[in-house]
Amino acid sequence: MASVDVGGPGVPEAGLSDQTGEFTGRYLVVFSDEVHGDAGATNATLQSVAGISNMVSTLDFAGGAADPDATGDADAMLFAELGVAVVSAESAEGGAVGALNADPRILSIEPERILYAIADPPLSLEYVRGYRDAIANLYEQLSGGVEARTEAGTAAAFADNASLTWGLQATRACTSPRTGVDIRLAVLDTGFDLTHPDFVDRPVLSQSFVAGPAVQAGHGHAPHWVGTPGGPTSPAGGGRRYGVATSASILVGKVLSNQGSGADSNILAGISWAIANGADVISMSLGADVQQVSQAYEAVGRRALQAGSLIVAAAGNNADRAAGDNGFVGIPANSPSIMAVGAVDSDLRIANFSARSSPVAGGKVDIAGPGVTVYSSWPMQVAPNRYHTISGTSMATPHVAGLAALLGEATGARGAQLWAKLTQAARPLRLSSADVGAGLAQAPQQ
Amino acid sequence: MREKVTVTVDDDHLGQVASLAEQLSTAGMEVEQVLGEIGIITGSAPAERRAALEGLAGVSAVESENSFQLPPSDSEVQ
Repeated sequence: MASVDVGGPGVPEAGLSDQTGEFTGRYLVVFSDEVHGDAGATNATLQSVAGISNMVSTLDFAGGAADPDATGDADAMLFAELGVAVVSAESAEGGAVGALNADPRILSIEPERILYAIADPPLSLEYVRGYRDAIANLYEQLSGGVEARTEAGTAAAFADNASLTWGLQATRACTSPRTGVDIRLAVLDTGFDLTHPDFVDRPVLSQSFVAGPAVQAGHGHAPHWVGTPGGPTSPAGGGRRYGVATSASILVGKVLSNQGSGADSNILAGISWAIANGADVISMSLGADVQQVSQAYEAVGRRALQAGSLIVAAAGNNADRAAGDNGFVGIPANSPSIMAVGAVDSDLRIANFSARSSPVAGGKVDIAGPGVTVYSSWPMQVAPNRYHTISGTSMATPHVAGLAALLGEATGARGAQLWAKLTQAARPLRLSSADVGAGLAQAPQQ
Repeated sequence: MREKVTVTVDDDHLGQVASLAEQLSTAGMEVEQVLGEIGIITGSAPAERRAALEGLAGVSAVESENSFQLPPSDSEVQ
């Protein structure tokens, strides 16, 4: 076994894994897409590279269900549907593993692990719980309690700089090659400042669904919320970039009055309009502190997904975590078919105000976005004019909407598929999933 | 007393939203918006007519309208 870079059966190679654990002595070989799905090619790979001929495949069994008792003497077991083979220790001893490692048709090779069902751990739960509590106490004492809400273990602090907001950095929107080309992004809100210098060259389709003043907003929220998902690469008004999807087509539906109030009839009319106008993503930074799911929003969210429109909504700001109140996700974000967005700060801590999942079916936070001290556009005629920095799940929501636009462009996914892309791409946070769902939404990097 | 209501049309009647709106009107609802795209009809109805509206074939739910209020523009948390 001269050229074998494996220590022997049961011992992982240093470069493969430095984790402790128990191993079976067999190896998992993962085939590349080049040969995956082609039973002949995968067999040939194992044969030509590693000299393994005594193998069985799941294709040999009815329904693809391998019978462990019937595979006993084989040197390799091929899971054809998965593009994975389990190779015996003897083959590894013979030098096959090293040769396989160098072959381009092989993605990876790693020692097979012994796994335990969570319900049946090797240590008693009581023992582990005592250990956890002791460590938590120690941590609390050492940190003086100040970091109780932080994402323990990481030093991921972000800050606005001269060219970028912290949110664009934390979500990696600033390094994404995607800009939301051909994606229609609707923001349903208090309107928009159509005279804002950052958007004068941008085609914005707008419509009002409230009585009285037209789309031109007298309330600051909406420009802020339009700015975050759709602001330009180089703001004409000067200053740093704050927009996520700089090329997305923007639709603005005014569903709330200049005083920031509205009702179901305004909002539902806006959603209907957005869908009819081909919106791929609909951003709603609004909510009511009602825990029970509205059947209307649930049906509408579902129909929107079927039509290829993903609705993202603010989880809500009804928490006061410092005072021990975690709040709850309200209407419409508590609909299972509407993506609920929580807010984290630039240290990736949960925001003090960000609502937690409720026990109501669907009333859970699905994902998180940057939502504390968020810099974006502001109406020219409303103080502090042009730009403003504020906080809320209302700021986290348009970040996620913009990121959905980038992922929509990158993957072509729409509706429920786009939802899945967003949660799959999210950066896991060491925070409760009840607070941040799948984690911090991320931009595609290709 | 009339109250604002939101009517959700069930999946099987999405093709007949307009005619359902007429039936709701006959049953005592003052219809304001017919949103065929998403199967929603909004308007108002006397509380005592609510059960009759809910009983119509094609009506999935009749709910009281929610209202939404943002914090003022100068609030730090939005």
